[in-house]
Parts: sequence; structure tokens; C-alpha cells
Amino acid sequence: MKRVWWEQIKAVVRLEMRKTFFARRGLWIYVVAALPVLIFVAYIVASSERQHLTSNVARQGEKPLTYQDLLAVKPGMTTPEVIAILGKPPTNFRWTEDRPVETQPGGAQPGEDQPAATTPVQHEDYHYSDGQNDLFVGLANGKVESVNIEAVENVGQDTIMFAATFQFFFLRLAVFFGCLGIFMNLFRGEVLDRSLHFYFLAPIRREVLMAGKFLAGFLATCTIFVTSEVLQTIAFVWHFPPGARDVYLYHNHGLEHAAIYVGVTVLACVGYGAFFLVAGMMFRNPILPAAAILIWEAINPFLPGVLKQFSVIYYLKSLCPVNIPSPPAMPPVLALLVSNSDPVSAPVAVLGILIVALIALYASSIQVRRMEINYTTE
Amino acid sequence: MSDSMKAPMSLPMNDRIVFEDVSKFYGEILGVNRVNLSIPPGITSLVGPNGSGKTTLMNLMTGLVKPTRGRIQVLGYPTNDPEQLFKILGYSTQFDAFPKGLTGYQFIYSYLRLSGRDAQGAEQLAWRVIERVNLVDAAKRNIAGYSKGMRQRIRLAQALAHDPKVLVLDEPLNGLDPLARSEMIALFRATAAQGCYVIISSHILHEVDVISDQVILLSNGYVVAEGQISTVRGEIQEHPTQILIRCTRPRELAAKVLEDEHTIEVSIHKDEGGLLLKTRDADGFYLTLNQLALNGNGNGIDIESIAPADDDVLSVYEYLIGNEEAVR
Repeated sequence: MKRVWWEQIKAVVRLEMRKTFFARRGLWIYVVAALPVLIFVAYIVASSERQHLTSNVARQGEKPLTYQDLLAVKPGMTTPEVIAILGKPPTNFRWTEDRPVETQPGGAQPGEDQPAATTPVQHEDYHYSDGQNDLFVGLANGKVESVNIEAVENVGQDTIMFAATFQFFFLRLAVFFGCLGIFMNLFRGEVLDRSLHFYFLAPIRREVLMAGKFLAGFLATCTIFVTSEVLQTIAFVWHFPPGARDVYLYHNHGLEHAAIYVGVTVLACVGYGAFFLVAGMMFRNPILPAAAILIWEAINPFLPGVLKQFSVIYYLKSLCPVNIPSPPAMPPVLALLVSNSDPVSAPVAVLGILIVALIALYASSIQVRRMEINYTTE
Repeated sequence: MSDSMKAPMSLPMNDRIVFEDVSKFYGEILGVNRVNLSIPPGITSLVGPNGSGKTTLMNLMTGLVKPTRGRIQVLGYPTNDPEQLFKILGYSTQFDAFPKGLTGYQFIYSYLRLSGRDAQGAEQLAWRVIERVNLVDAAKRNIAGYSKGMRQRIRLAQALAHDPKVLVLDEPLNGLDPLARSEMIALFRATAAQGCYVIISSHILHEVDVISDQVILLSNGYVVAEGQISTVRGEIQEHPTQILIRCTRPRELAAKVLEDEHTIEVSIHKDEGGLLLKTRDADGFYLTLNQLALNGNGNGIDIESIAPADDDVLSVYEYLIGNEEAVR
């Protein structure tokens, strides 16, 4: 590459970055990027409230409990047996239920205008904690009816929640629409502003201009969405107790996952950016190509193998470090959307996304050479 | 019309701006059709009513639009190679929009950086051209706050910033006050005097008349005439040339000039200080008049001045296009 081309690309990037970061019509992109961070911040607040409650319950107990103690309570035990194991409950809740009396077959049925016979059942709900886990014991007439243990911090479940938020909200909506907003406006926005001729009057190859604009869009989207992704990870990890945090980060691939999520975000910006750059040059109305690409990405799991490869999400899904299990009751068609039934290896995925982006950029370079300044006919 | 601006077919000319059988259609709408031109150095004005194809011709010349048919070369460079073309060409468009948020200085500086110049060189050139268009005081202000005249001048500055050999200016005097107009005209003349090509579109005919070395008259997308104004005028056969003579004893002179077979009509000026005549052979008439002037003293006729009365752009425009939208 000629040295002057690189200087020109830098000049384009400087102009475009200023425009992209401070454009009033692009403010919504910051909101979209900030939304997942806000979701995780809200999750931290909710988690810390719960952690606080759990700690209080553990402290208020008659004796310090272990997880084994919590596991010792079984359905059918009596109230004194439970208290013998766990001590008096720090918090309990009593209530009475009028439970309908079960009639024996052939027994007397109440008349239509008579109320159904009921019998009062005395309920007690006990809440114990070992500081990390909550035990909820439901007693009916002095016998354990239900036992429920919930970990305050469930790293495994939280990791899946993070992965789902990343795949289904961050990648498919935030990054997708953020790239749409930024890359489609690189040329289209200037046609609407009637200022594209500024670039076209400079002694710069159209392909170099396109490369500069793409690089500017890429840097802008990366800055916005990688920052968002890093903040999400910090927020996500923050709510773990220090011990659990260390285990997650250093022994449970947490750091590795965080780096992969950042990498996937960068690749998403490359892939979607290239798609929207060419779409912004080819179509007057951005809604149509955006809808077409969105649908194309959404139906990717149902496409034949050859067509699947011309998609960004196909490769991104394969790179995501945590597989999201589909809920058991989910219909198979929807389960196909959630799970990645046909993953490719990481090198193939990275290469695939770069090739798809290069194809789109090649189409952009042809299109940019054909572009004319016809503001009056727009 | 004049042969000086006719494009020789398929001959690369590295010292001319050449249009070879160029047509441009916007869908079914005609921009320009079958244009053949070869524009020499100097100031060339594109003249024509609104919609005649002036801006299209300029956009074609600068590669902003592509010809539907034909070929254009600017000093040997094809217009589809902006990297080379805009090293030698500067274009001040009519588009009144600028990249958002830039000051006048940043606008020029960014343009020069886009051209590949280093920071120091771009800064020096930017200030030099800003000074040239008298915009130093406003250079650090946002362009969004500029008046129409200031925006016109900053566009001119962009076109001039890299000292181009070819300067294409679309209505460059629009929005300028009289002082600024005369400064700009002087600037165009100075540029042309250096051997540059200055292409100006304008509908203010008296200004075109004053500054142009040659004109290209356009109507409905067609070039109806091109060349030096006097040459173009001389070739309009259906309209006799009008000549204004300031002299003493105009009635005696009128009687003498009527003896010339090409003289069609003579009228005495209201102040009895001269006469206006129409002739089909201006050159022949000037020879006759020379004879009369030599013998004039004997008849007491003293000829003070002789000037063509319709040898200007306005007259040519009126004869060829009509007086619609002509602005004096």
C-alpha cells in the first residue's frame, strides 16, 4: 500500500470519527450499547440485596449452619426434627389454609347450594441460610411438605444467563443495529446531508475513501461495543463474592470467556459493518436491507449448509464460549434457534467471517466507484 | 461555430479539456447530449438558462457524474481517476453543504490532509488560501454560522487550495458583494494569466462578458455555440452586426455609409453625436469606414470612436437562445 493512501485513510478516519461519535442522530446507539450494562447493574443491585438478606438470616440463626446441614432436611420430617438439625428458624411465616376435604368414592356429596367441606391446614415456612445458600422449608400441620435450596450465587446459571444476554440481545440486536446506524450512514448519511462531494472532490481513490470510512466505522463500533462488553463483564463478575469471583475468573475460564466475548464483539463489528457499508451504498431506504439482513440472520439455522456460510451469526455463534441449553419444554423449531446444531471450529469461524466481510467490502469497492453525486435526484 | 473548441475525434490532447461525443441522461431526463468540446487555457464561461446543462457539464468534467456515452479527458487524465484528476483540478460546486462541525480553517485543512499532505504543509497551504479569499477573520468560526458570501468564498478556497491547473467554478460570484466580486474576478484573471484553465458557469451575462476569453453557450442540454465571443458573433449570419460610431456630422456620415452595399440600416443617435448601423459584412464595412475616415476631414466628419454594439455575450445569448432568464 502506498504511504499516501495510509495518510489519506488516517485523514478520513479523523473526520469520520468526530462525526460518528458526536452525531446527534447516532445518540440512540449509545443507549442500545448501554442497555445490557444497565441490565447487569440492575442484576448486581438485586443480587446484593439478596446477599444481604441471606447473610442476615445466617447471622440470626441459632447456630452456624453448613451446606450439609441444609441438605439434611427431607420431606416428611416433623417440626421438632427440623429444629433439632437446624435450630429455631431465624425467620418464619405462619398461615392457615382451608383445604377441601377429599371425598371417598361412594361417599356423601355436598348439595349444590351447600359449601364444599374444608379442613384447616396450619402452614409454616422456615427460612435458613448458611450464608451462601438459602433453605426454604414448607411445613403443613407440623410435617415438612417441601424443601427448596437456592444458592445465592449460582455461577453456572449466571454464566448461561450472561451468554444468553450476549447472544440474543447484545449480538443480535445491540451490535446489529449499532452497526446498522453507524456503517449505513457512512455514505448514505452524507448523501442525505448533501456533503459527500467534499470527499469526492479530493485526490483520493474511491476505494481508499471506502477503506477509511470502513476503518472509522469499525473503530467507532468497536470502541462503543467493546466498552459496553467490558463493562457488562465487570458488572457480571462484580456481584460474585471474592472467592467465587477468583474461582470463576482463574479456574473456571472466566477470563478466557471474557476475552472471547470481546473478540466475538470485534468480529461482529467487522462482519455486520461490511454488510451495512455495502447496503448503505446500494439502497436508498435503509429499512429494507436492514430488515432483509435481520431476517437472513434469524433464519440462518434453517438454511442449507451452503447458504449458512454467507451469514455473520453463523460464525459468531460458533465462537461463543458458552453453549446455551434449550429449555426442555421448548418446541424443536425454537430450540434450533437457541442451540448451535452445526458449529464450526474457531479458526474456520474467524476465517469465514473475514472472508464474508471481504466479499462485502469488495462489493462496496465496486459500488463506490460507480457512485455519482446526484443529490437533486435523491 | 468556431473550430478552436471543436474536439478532434479520438485524439488525446494533454493540454486541453476534451469532451468527445458526451451525453448524460438521468434516467429519461436529458442532462447534456452529444457534446464535443476542446477547451483551451484561459477563462471559459458556460452560459445558458437554468436546466441547460451547465452544472451537468461541470460535474461530468470533474467525475462527479459519469457520462452515459462518450469520453472526457482533462489534460489527458480520465475523469474516473479522481486520485490523479484532483491533483490538477479544483472544483467549487454549487452544493451549499459542508461536513458538520468544521470551522472554515478545518474544512480547508481536512481537504488538504485528504489530499495526502502532511500536517505542516496542509496548515501552511490552508492559511495561504484563506488569506487569498479574504476569510482570515472568520477562519476559526464554524462554517454553519457563515453568511452566503462567506460560504461561497470558503468553497472557492477549497477549489484553489492546492493550486490546481484547472479551476472549475459553478456560479462562483453568487452571494458575493460587489467588492468581493471584483476581487474574485481579478483572482480568476490572475489564475488564467498563469496559463491555467478557468471554467466558470454564470447566468450574469455582463460579468461573463467582462471576464471570459471564450464562451460555451448551452441550451436544453446542447452546446449551441462555443469559442471567442467575437468569433461566435461573427458567425451568426441571420443577425446583422451592429456598429456604434461616435462622430461629428452623423447625417453626412450616414449618407456615405449607406452607399456601402452591405449596410442594411442606419439610425442617428438621439444626441446627434453618432449613429448606429447594421451591416452584413462587418470586416468589409470597417475597410470602407477607414477610407471615409481618411477622407473625412474634407467633409468635416470627425470620427471619435467605433465599437461593435452587439459583439457581447448578451447579444449572442439573445440571438442564439433568446432572452429568457438572461440577467444583465
